[in-house]
Amino acid sequence: MASSSSSGLTFKLHPLVIVNISDHYTRVKSQMHPPIGPHANDNSNGTDGATSLPPPVPRVYGCVIGIQRGRTVEIFNSFELLYDPSTHSLDRSFLEKKQDLYKKVFPNFYILGWYSTGSDAQESDMHIHKALMDINESPVYVLLNPSINHAQKDLPVTIYESELHVIDGIPQLIFVRSNYTIETVEAERISVDHVAHLKPSDGGSAATQLAAHLTGIHSAIKMLNSRIRVLHYYLLAMQKGDILCENSLLRQVSSLLRRLPAIESEKFQDDFLMEYNDTLLITYLAMFTNCSSTMNELVDKFNTAYDRHSRRGGRTAFM
Amino acid sequence: MDIEQKQADLIDHFVKQASALQGSALCPLIAEATSNTSLFAFSEILAIPSVLQLEGTSNSVYLDVLRLFAHGTWSDYKRNAGCLPQLVPEQVLKLKQLTVLTLAETNKVLPYDQLMQELDITNVRELEDFLINECMYAGIVRGKLDQLRRCFEVQFAAGRDLRPGQLGSMIHTLSNWLATSDNLLMSIQEKIKWADSMSELDKKHRKEVEDRVEEVKKSLSLKKLQTVSRPTLTSEGMRRSTLNLVE
Repeated sequence: MASSSSSGLTFKLHPLVIVNISDHYTRVKSQMHPPIGPHANDNSNGTDGATSLPPPVPRVYGCVIGIQRGRTVEIFNSFELLYDPSTHSLDRSFLEKKQDLYKKVFPNFYILGWYSTGSDAQESDMHIHKALMDINESPVYVLLNPSINHAQKDLPVTIYESELHVIDGIPQLIFVRSNYTIETVEAERISVDHVAHLKPSDGGSAATQLAAHLTGIHSAIKMLNSRIRVLHYYLLAMQKGDILCENSLLRQVSSLLRRLPAIESEKFQDDFLMEYNDTLLITYLAMFTNCSSTMNELVDKFNTAYDRHSRRGGRTAFM
Repeated sequence: MDIEQKQADLIDHFVKQASALQGSALCPLIAEATSNTSLFAFSEILAIPSVLQLEGTSNSVYLDVLRLFAHGTWSDYKRNAGCLPQLVPEQVLKLKQLTVLTLAETNKVLPYDQLMQELDITNVRELEDFLINECMYAGIVRGKLDQLRRCFEVQFAAGRDLRPGQLGSMIHTLSNWLATSDNLLMSIQEKIKWADSMSELDKKHRKEVEDRVEEVKKSLSLKKLQTVSRPTLTSEGMRRSTLNLVE
């Protein structure tokens, strides 16, 4: 069903759309009765004697909007739609209402297509696709796969287009996969960055935060290391004569190497050591304060304990 | 890196022309190449056989000029001015730009005095104009001018053509860099392990203390409340007993 597209359109997807779809799906999933969870199967379908299947994972539907300029289709935003299982179509009047509302705020955005969740595009999706074809003659279908696969390195989002193919003598519309790139606006970049760097701040001890921070630095340096290794190997091969000497590259490498060491002046050393000493001092002071307050508490408790023991009916502990 | 891109077409152009010409026809070509405002790389032209054949002929001075522009500085030119042909002003400018690049190779902070001496410029104003107009706007150097301390901090300088021995030293620098970053990675990993193990120890200790508190609480509540247990001399014991009394 999904071969690669040949329409030549370039797709640009904004992270906002992906976040919207996954948010919609998560909300619906968590609001379902009974809630779908790892142990919900024992509670639900209890009346069935036979082994019960877990309740089907809900599919959510919605519309994607954006701008089409020439051969580039840029998908900016999305909104949710209700799916009517009886007519196998999306709620048309609501769609049009929402479209008007969005048009007022974003006059440039058009309805580019629709989205849904699931692992693969299905035949029934073609009905919805065809229904949208009167708004946009070639809508796009954005599919998000909500199952978490830790081994998968790229996003579980696929964009499908519809193409007329002749199968068994009958021209049919089928879904074909298209490539897309992610395009971010500054605000999106900040929020994605924020989510990516979520530190365990749930009272995770200082050690876990330190470990998380160090891991970040570690991976960055590792990448740098691998790139330098490539350069090193390349230069060695050039020296041995295995590769032709390419002067332009050599010049660039020499200019790069000249940037090392990055900072090395006396003034830097002074400032750096001062700041280092300041940090150490402050940590020391904080430790002092901590220790002295613990001592204080201990002495209070000691006094309370011994006072009650020795001065029965006497006055309160002196302080 | 953009300089390389800007130069790439020029280099191709000159290489093509030079391979087509021979002997004394190359001389005006060399003069043109060395005066061109955006061309700073000459090793490709030096590599062309017909150029190398100029060695030893009457036109070998032009080969020397080309070599000077590839590897030498303004002071080299002044020293050998007798055996080299007169340079036109554009070539002089180009040579001075290349001199700045060479100076930036060794130091990141170039004092104005050194620059003025190397470039034969007498006052600071002219030096700064030269640096700004000819070097930074041409894109071969990026840096900051510190007038108070009278120095020029170079952040980026384009590469000059490589001298024969330079490849070895570049490889050496790269391997040092690799070794340093490997060490750094190892020490970061050790630190992470240390942090994890310390937090493990801390958790264990905390758990132990809490377990003992529970134990003591249970054993104390079994005795009657009037008899206060004799507090042990350890601080933990005192804390435990006070907990009991307070609750």
